[in-house]
Amino acid sequence: MIDVKSRISSFFIFNSNFGPKEGEELKRILFFHPSQPGPDARKMQVGLCEAVVKFMSTFSSEPCEALQTQTKRYIFYQPEKGYWMVLVVRIPYTTKALSAIGESKGEVIEPSVMHDLLVSSYKMFRMFRGPFKDISCSEIYDTCEQFFTPYISSRNLTNDISDIIQGINYLPLDKNSFFKVMCFIDLLEINYPDFKCVSFVFNDQLIWNSLSKDDMLTLYQYLVQTLLPKEVEKEIQGGAVTAAQRLGRFISPPEGIQIKEDLERLAKLHLMREDDSETREYYLIVYRTLSATVCFTVDVNTNLQLEAFKSLDAFIGPQLSNIASAINEQCTIHALQTAQLATSEHKFMYFNRLNLAFKTSPPINKLHPSMAIKPEVLSIISEIHEGRKSLGNYGEVIIKTPDEYWITGKSSNEREFYVIIQEKNANLKEIADEVKRICEAQMKGIFFYPM
Amino acid sequence: MASTSQDTVSSKTQENDDLEPGACPESILNPADTFEEFASEMSSSLQERNVLCTKSSTISEIQSEIAESIAEIKMRATKSSDDLQSKDESMSASASSSNLLEQDGDETDDEKDNYLQSPELVNKEKHVFILSSAGKPIYSRYGNEDKLAGLCGVIQALVSVVEEQNQDILRSITTKDCKAVFLVKGPLILVAVSKSNESETQLVLQLTYAFNQIVSVLTLTQLNRIFEQRRNYDLRRLLSGAERLIDHLLIFMEKDPAFLLGAVRCLPLPEKARENITNAITSTCNKIRDLVFAIMIAGNQLITLVRMKKYTLHPSDIHLLFNLVRSSESFKTAESWTPICLPKFDATGFLHGHVSYISEDCQACLLLLTVQRDAFFPLSQAKHTIADKMRRSNCLIAINEALNRNENLPTTNPLKHIAIPEIRHFMYKCKSTAQLFTSDPISLDRLQDYRLRHKEGGDICVKKIEKLSDIDYVRNYREFVSKIHCTSTPAKLIFRSNSNDTVLAWVTNGFELYVTFDPLMEKDQAIKAVDRLLRWIKNEEQRIFIMNAPTF
Repeated sequence: MIDVKSRISSFFIFNSNFGPKEGEELKRILFFHPSQPGPDARKMQVGLCEAVVKFMSTFSSEPCEALQTQTKRYIFYQPEKGYWMVLVVRIPYTTKALSAIGESKGEVIEPSVMHDLLVSSYKMFRMFRGPFKDISCSEIYDTCEQFFTPYISSRNLTNDISDIIQGINYLPLDKNSFFKVMCFIDLLEINYPDFKCVSFVFNDQLIWNSLSKDDMLTLYQYLVQTLLPKEVEKEIQGGAVTAAQRLGRFISPPEGIQIKEDLERLAKLHLMREDDSETREYYLIVYRTLSATVCFTVDVNTNLQLEAFKSLDAFIGPQLSNIASAINEQCTIHALQTAQLATSEHKFMYFNRLNLAFKTSPPINKLHPSMAIKPEVLSIISEIHEGRKSLGNYGEVIIKTPDEYWITGKSSNEREFYVIIQEKNANLKEIADEVKRICEAQMKGIFFYPM
Repeated sequence: MASTSQDTVSSKTQENDDLEPGACPESILNPADTFEEFASEMSSSLQERNVLCTKSSTISEIQSEIAESIAEIKMRATKSSDDLQSKDESMSASASSSNLLEQDGDETDDEKDNYLQSPELVNKEKHVFILSSAGKPIYSRYGNEDKLAGLCGVIQALVSVVEEQNQDILRSITTKDCKAVFLVKGPLILVAVSKSNESETQLVLQLTYAFNQIVSVLTLTQLNRIFEQRRNYDLRRLLSGAERLIDHLLIFMEKDPAFLLGAVRCLPLPEKARENITNAITSTCNKIRDLVFAIMIAGNQLITLVRMKKYTLHPSDIHLLFNLVRSSESFKTAESWTPICLPKFDATGFLHGHVSYISEDCQACLLLLTVQRDAFFPLSQAKHTIADKMRRSNCLIAINEALNRNENLPTTNPLKHIAIPEIRHFMYKCKSTAQLFTSDPISLDRLQDYRLRHKEGGDICVKKIEKLSDIDYVRNYREFVSKIHCTSTPAKLIFRSNSNDTVLAWVTNGFELYVTFDPLMEKDQAIKAVDRLLRWIKNEEQRIFIMNAPTF
């Protein structure tokens, strides 16, 4: 596990237009993490970044993406014109003296992973606080502080293949169970027209969603990375029995909805629902029973009544609990089947850009760290993923590393498939055949060319 | 076929022992891997770098060995240090090492912006700027250096802010379509701004070459001394003429895979012919005591290299010699006597070179490099003797046939001769001798053609490619070479197949091989084809490589 906090040298947001005059440089810095460096050190860092951005703009119309020095990598992201988010990561490096005594390089965090971290942090910010430009000058410093400080310190990366590509884990269901979910959602929306169901998640797998792919990814990440882990922890502490006895509850706002004041604690989201033509504000309401979690949105202009929530609770509770039990049963059967299938020790990963569907071989067992994938291999996969354009509409690449890892990447239209095989004395043909077997076993019916 | 096609692309170790075309026990070239060397350069810390030590001089070593008390080499330094004293301080340094934001001041900035957007500079695929550490422009690939003073000031400020305030070294800045790579070497700052598909490492390598080209004209000793004496010195005064060398070198590096692989291309010749040429040189020169290297080249390819025992040349030094010969028309008309510094061999001093073409009817060029300053006449005489011997043994005809790519030679059109229709292009490097062979040797007139084409622009143009030229293939190999040699995640083998082509890149202890096949090539077919290809190279190795390492 890579401890992101220890690797992040600094993280800051600046906009040069906020303090255009000399002596006002500090005003340009909207947010700076960590809080230790004094104003001079901050000004210097931001000044360097401003100069770098300006320098590159004379040669390229594309925004600056990265600055590499001997010991650090600065990753730039300009989500809105003039607003720059910069993540500075220490990169382990060896000097001649160190390499002479065989000191290792240490783990490297992939630049693309760090870039994704920046992008998703902005998207999360925009979903919960709105775009930077809509926040007034007087509020923006506090808003950023309140949002990004906890965000940065809560993030960690497991150094697993799932970090390289940000996708959504879908739960495959049989027709009947899926139909039950659909009926439940339809019935609910007809009875409570103010409430719009935006997603249905089981454990950490998505079953249904009505948001656009980008918004969905952000909301999904919020649920499985932030909200649900806390909730699961509470359930474990509270004892399994009590949790099962209760039919269901509102988990956002965190204290549930009991009294009128709770309604004021509802989180607001900035997003575009199906029939919207622009981003609007909505209340987010999350309801959970057993392992099933349902998200609703309500227009912020709606007059909220405590009664409506009480009746909604009574309506959803029993129904959702039935559905959750049914799905749970199915998952158990499915898990048994895949347990037999997953005897192969080779790791794989599938990603479909169109619906962000993401599937990997069973995640590494935390008890067996030796099963973890080497960072070098991850880095090669991440390179293939970054450079997938070189594969065209369909193509494949097979790479062999000095320590006998064979990494295969396939791309067909918007789908990608990766397999890692560690095998001594294999040849290209044997590896290709093995990949084909894995592809057929795990990805039945999904077509990759060349075979 | 004894070895099955299986183990060709699989178990490398056994295979290497059987088949390593071109390998020979002793090499004329120093096969030190440029990439590894570069990697160590990349990992040097700031403190380590600042002590740019000049190693003990190989040249003085030779001189003392010869034990003839020659007065110490006095290089052009005497002359140039006079230059140094001369007044001319027209341009005050725009360098402000401390305050970057001040540097961004309006007038400099506008001027810089406008000039960079002018037709002579905009839309170029690759810019190269060289400036002194005080921020004074020395070289720009395009445009006029004087007008780039503002830009150079900004570059200098960026470099020094990272160094002084962050105790760090600036390496590169990237956008989606563009990379800026920085290299600080001694008193110089070199920057490449490129929209090509070259990796950061490959760009730094090119900047290192450009630096070496300057060292080759001045020696490192002189370069350092100049800036020790006057930090603000305008180096352009000493480099007049060298700009053209750098221009040509930059084009050369973009086109010739020799740079990509850190290897030297040899002119394919029958074994006997090469032996005769080598004998002509050794028999003539063995009496000339202070001759260090005798090198014969033609069309950027090495014909033979005879050397003083114990000393070898690094491929990058030979590349500089290729570049020097190719860029200087004057060598064609007269015998020349010129000081040459070979940075890898000895960056601190000059060798003296007698450079001449063998004859009017043969485009082979002979370089005789010595540590003697006044050996022109004995070397000139030696050259004529060598030329006569070569003519008598029909070597000139052999060289001309190879240069004109006579249809009957198997090496003229290797792909046709190998007869594997699926192979579109390949390049092969023998690692132990640092020599390479490609399926489409670049001929003289074609290189000329690149230069002409280049004069027109160097602009980025999106063209619909009908048929790939060998240069396009080499362009495609760049990313494979960089992945294979990546320091953090190297690869042994890459097989990539898409609807345009199939590329196999394979590195073993003995060789590097890059092959382009038809699209969507089957793996077992590719394995078989590579097997046959290696056997063909093995068969022809005496012709396409220099398999011995003659000494005087």
